[in-house]
Parts: sequence; structure tokens; C-alpha cells
Amino acid sequence: MNKERKIFLIVAAVLIVGSFLITTHMENRFYYKAAYVVLQYVVLATAWNILGGYTGYVNFGTAAFFAMGAYTAVALIKTWKPPLYVLLVTGGLVSGLLGLGIGYLTLRLRGVFFSIATLALAVVLQMIVSNWDYVGGGAGTAVLKPRSVPMFSNYDEFLFFVMAALAVVSVAIAWLIEKSWIGRGMAAIRDNEEAAECMGVPILKLKLFATTVSGALMGIAGAPFSYFVVYIEPTSAFHLDYAVNSLAMPMIGGTTTWLGPLVGAVLVGTAQQIATVTLSSEMNLLIVGSLLVGFVVFAPDGLVGLFGKVRARFAGKEA
Amino acid sequence: MGRIIRHVILGFALLLAVSIAFTPAAQAAKEVKIGFSMALTGPLGPAGKAALLAMEIWRDDVNAKGGLLGRKVKLVYYDDQTKPANVPGIYAKLLDVDKVDFIVSGYGTNLIVPALPIAMERGMVFMGLFGLDANAKFKYNNYFQIMPAGPDPIVDWSVGFFELAAKQKPRPKTIALLSADSEFARNAVNGARRNAKKYGFKVVYDQRYPFPGTSDFTPILRAVKAANPDLFYVGSYPGGSVGIVKAAHEIGLEPKLFGGGMVGLQYTAIQMNLGKLLNGITNYWFWAPEKTLKFPGIEAFLAKYQKEAPKQKLDPLGYYLPPFAYAYVQVLGQAIEATKSFDQAKIGAYIRNNTHSTVVGNVKFGKNGEWATSRTFQVQLQDITSNKMSEFSKEGKMVVLYPEEFKSGNLIYPYAKGK
Repeated sequence: MNKERKIFLIVAAVLIVGSFLITTHMENRFYYKAAYVVLQYVVLATAWNILGGYTGYVNFGTAAFFAMGAYTAVALIKTWKPPLYVLLVTGGLVSGLLGLGIGYLTLRLRGVFFSIATLALAVVLQMIVSNWDYVGGGAGTAVLKPRSVPMFSNYDEFLFFVMAALAVVSVAIAWLIEKSWIGRGMAAIRDNEEAAECMGVPILKLKLFATTVSGALMGIAGAPFSYFVVYIEPTSAFHLDYAVNSLAMPMIGGTTTWLGPLVGAVLVGTAQQIATVTLSSEMNLLIVGSLLVGFVVFAPDGLVGLFGKVRARFAGKEA
Repeated sequence: MGRIIRHVILGFALLLAVSIAFTPAAQAAKEVKIGFSMALTGPLGPAGKAALLAMEIWRDDVNAKGGLLGRKVKLVYYDDQTKPANVPGIYAKLLDVDKVDFIVSGYGTNLIVPALPIAMERGMVFMGLFGLDANAKFKYNNYFQIMPAGPDPIVDWSVGFFELAAKQKPRPKTIALLSADSEFARNAVNGARRNAKKYGFKVVYDQRYPFPGTSDFTPILRAVKAANPDLFYVGSYPGGSVGIVKAAHEIGLEPKLFGGGMVGLQYTAIQMNLGKLLNGITNYWFWAPEKTLKFPGIEAFLAKYQKEAPKQKLDPLGYYLPPFAYAYVQVLGQAIEATKSFDQAKIGAYIRNNTHSTVVGNVKFGKNGEWATSRTFQVQLQDITSNKMSEFSKEGKMVVLYPEEFKSGNLIYPYAKGK
């Protein structure tokens, strides 16, 4: 194991332990709920970035994968109420398989056509779930979360800890991919697919890998959703917000590195949480909209790219 | 990389500073704070804003009389954007950061349910605004819901329509059911289906139409016409309700009784749009300016509401939701006054065990926190001669037919005669 990898894994472990320690010291549930939403977006934005940022395939169907994870969990809860880790694994598996299947069917499509196909996937799945009465259909269903959980004083703290751990793990996965030959292969696909293929990059395999991992992470992020919101119905589970935010956050943070979606999700997600309880909610959408437009126009490489440029300029001056 | 991390930390610090700057300063002491989330934007935004205005009128009324137990009332609320996912965070903020004394719900089932477990965990009284059987799973004894749907809301919703139909001579035999493919409409029609069986009407047509996304209803209603039903029960949302009424007139669909669970016909803007086309339709209703429904305080409330609503571009008459939004906080206020206490358990017990006189009439809660008996009116629209707003604020236009106790006129039967 090289030094960089060691440091990264230690930081990851420290963050997970740290988030557990927070739950033993802080009572205020609002911060747990707000942090849960932000961390959920860290997972979604990181997952989106594996396909959208590393490989260059823009996915508008985040909500489909997220909701698939959420509804898989609801179906399981209705059947035999398994523990949360089973829901996470199954949600991830189902959404990962969905990603694999969709990848297999649609990856011959390029650019905007692929994006439209993913958007259509969300619409089709929403219609199916709306007519699936076992999980509540269009009317939705209430989900009772477990009353208590060992080691945590309430379930909100537990959900926060789980989402914090998932965020750390998903960022770690993105980091490992980025630093490996797989990441370099993906970058080659993003830059020029034909050239990459000519150079011997196994493009279909890599693209399928990207759709599967990205889909699985989104599904895992969706699995605890029904416990968080207690009431699940298709309109909110398939909300366009998930697609827009998970795309906007990496765009704002920067799409080419693991740090971009993390920075974007934390900044935009936190700003949204603050706006929800301080400013009007129109401001909430305005924040995302104007940040997205601003970054696409003035800093197409996102915050990380912008800092890189600034650093390069200073370094130039110093030299 | 080190520099990037430093910049990220700086970003965090800035955000934290902003969040602290926005945190409201310590509130004036001795206020009774009532917290809630409300849909002020999104699909339920217009109705949510009208509900908020009604609640503000209640607050001003109470404060004008010196507040609750000598403490002024303050409403603390946040916009949930009609998104259930925002609700848990908002109620956690209300309770843990704003330290509100009471919580009441936002508008609609989807936005009530996510807050219910939070109220349960804290043992707080939770007043609900227009939830349909929201407490079915939780069975929380301090939840009280103000919409008069009754103890078995899904079935009770349409029972009046079937009672009326069953009394007609010759007795109708067949029924067509049509619903939007979404939550409320499907529930309403599921109840109607059970009632059709109970009252012995043969279902000759039973379909759902895609929602949202259906704009032309003529092909659907032609199929209904071909089935030639005596009764036509519709569960629809505002846009669909307008389309269905217009299409029924276009193709000359004339069942003997038409309406039931159409949302939107109670809204002033839609009434002004449809005008005379509404004549003869029999539909569920919650309040109308009929002599039998002049509950204490309703006219004073509506006068205040109607003065303010046009300024905020809200439903100008406000007969549907606003009186109930006033009433659900009114019940809470009365319970605080009566128990002379801010103790949640005492207030809950008082609300559970007493009848409350409100602007929407006497309210008694039963099991599950729903009304002990259903009081969903069936109203027939009669004698509408124009599209003017004044037409719909007059007596005798929305005639109450059911329940018997509130009856203000007679059914014009069949529908074609009332058209």
C-alpha cells in the first residue's frame, strides 16, 4: 500500500469514528437531519460523478436509481423488516443491476441520447411504482422506523451515522477508482472514446463498470430514505431534485476529481439546508440555479479546477 | 492538495458564519410559539398560503383578546415546498432550535405523515390539516385531524353520494367509476367501489386515467357514455375535474347522478371558469354559504379572510380549506384555555374527550384522531346563471343535500334536469 492510500484510508476511518463520537455528544436532532440530507447528496453526487464526471456520460436518471434503492427497501420492510444493512446491500444490488442492465442497453447511445434514455428510465420506473400497490402505489405508504437501536440514543442519530459512513465509503470508492487504471481508462473514454478504444482501453467493460457502481451507490443512498422520511410516495422519491442536485453539485465542485462532488455537495447541500429554514424556498432553487449557471460559464472545471488555476497562478508568481 | 483543503475549510467556516448570522435572535419571552411546516411553494403552494393566512387571522384574533393564558401567540413556520423529504428536518428545527411550544401539521397527507413520528417521539399534541387516514399505522392518540372525512375516511367520503342515489325512484341500477391515477382520487374511488357493492349498484365501467398528463377527456367519457350508467362517480384533481365537466357537456353525457369526489369544483377560480356548466353536479363539499352552515364565527372569519386574500392573490372566497385551517388551531387554543395548561398530555386528553365549537361547527374526534362521525357534505350546484364571483357567494347555489342534519334544499334529479 502506498503512502497516499494509507493516509486516505486513515482519514476515512477517522471520519467514520468521528461521526460516531458526534452522536454521543450532540443532542440537537435538527443538525442530524440536516446533515443526513447533505451526506446523502455527497453519496449521490459522488456516484453521479463516477459515470458523469470520470467517464463523461451525463445521467439524468439519478432519481430512478435512488428511488429503486428506496423502494427495494420498502418492499423488504413490508415483507420481513430486515435490519438496515440488509436494506443497504439489497438496495445497492438492485440499483447496481439496474445500472448494469441500462448500461448494456443504452451505452451504444452517446451524449444527449444517453442522457434522454436515463431520463426516460426515471419516468418509466415512476409509472411502474405508482401502479405497484404492494409498496403503496401512487398513494404512498407510511413506514414505521424501529423504535430503538443499540449504541445510539435514537434512530435519527443512527441514520446520520450510517449516511456519514456511506459518504466516506463512496468517496473512498471514487478515490480508488480515480487513482487506478480503471480511472485512467474512464478518463480516456471521456476525452476521446474512439482513440481510447484504438489504444486498447476496454471501453464497454469500463462503461458497464461505471454504470453499475454509480447505480449501486445511488441505490444504497436511497435504501434508508423511507426510514428518514417515514412516508414514501413516488412523486417525492422520483423527484427531479435528485437528478438536478446530483448533477449540479459535481459541476460546481469539479467533475474530474473525487474532491469535486464532495465539495459541491457539502457547499450546495448546506446552503440549501440553511436556505430552507432562513430564506424563502424560491431562494433555495435560485441558489442552485445561479451557482450552476455561474460555474458553467465562469469556472467550467468547478471549484477544484478554479483553485487549481489560482494556485498555478500564485505558484507562477512565486517562481 | 494542502491549499485545496485549506480553501475547503475556509468555505466551511464562512458557511458556518452565515448560518449563525441567520439564526433568529432569542425570541421575546413568554410567547406561545406554534410551529409548523407549510407548503408555500410547489403544487400545494396556493392552498398552503391560504391556510397560512387563516392561521394568521386566528393568531391575531387570539392576540387581540390577550393571547393564550396571557401569553401572545407567535407562529413559527417554514416552507416545505410540498416535499415530504423536507418535513422531518423542519420539525426537528422547530423543536430543537426554535424551541416551539406546540406543533401543528402542514397541509395534506403526504406532508403530515413524515411529521407524525416526531410528534409521537416527543409526546406532543399534533393537529392535522387535511390528512386522509394519516394516523392509520401510527395510531397516535394525540393526533387530531380537522377534515371532516370521518372514522373510516375512504368509505365515508362517498357514502352521501350513495345514500342520495339509493333514495331515488326508480332506484338507479348501474354505476361508472373513473379516477385519476393518484393518491386521493384512487382512495376516493376505492371507497366508492366498496359503497357501490354495499348499496347494490352494478359497476359497468371502472377505469383510471393517467395523472398528470391527461388533458383530453372526450375519448374517456365517450366510453363511459357507451356503458350507459345511471350513476357516474368521479375521483379527480382540479385540472381533470375541469376537463371532465367540459367534456361531459361536449358529448352530452347525462347520467342520472354525476360527480362525487371531484377536487377543484370548490375553488372559486374553477367555479368562475365553469359557471353554468356546474349546474346539476353533485359533489363532496366542506363548506358553503348556506343557512344551515352558519357556524359561530365563520362569517367574521371569512370577512377578514376575503379582505386580505385578493391582496395576496389567494382563493378570493376561501370556502374550502381556510375555515378548517382556522379551526385546527382554534381547537388547540381552546384546549389550552380550557385546561389552563401548556401540558401536552392534559391538552391531548381534553381534545380527545370533548366536543369543540369552531368556525366549521362542532368537532368531536374519534378513534385514529379523525372526526368521530363523517360530515362530508354532498352538495348539488343549482341555479348558477353566470361566471361572476358574486354568483358563488350567494345562498342557494351550493345546496347541501347530505347529511340530513345540514340539508338546505332538495336534489334536482336526474342530472339532466338540473343542468
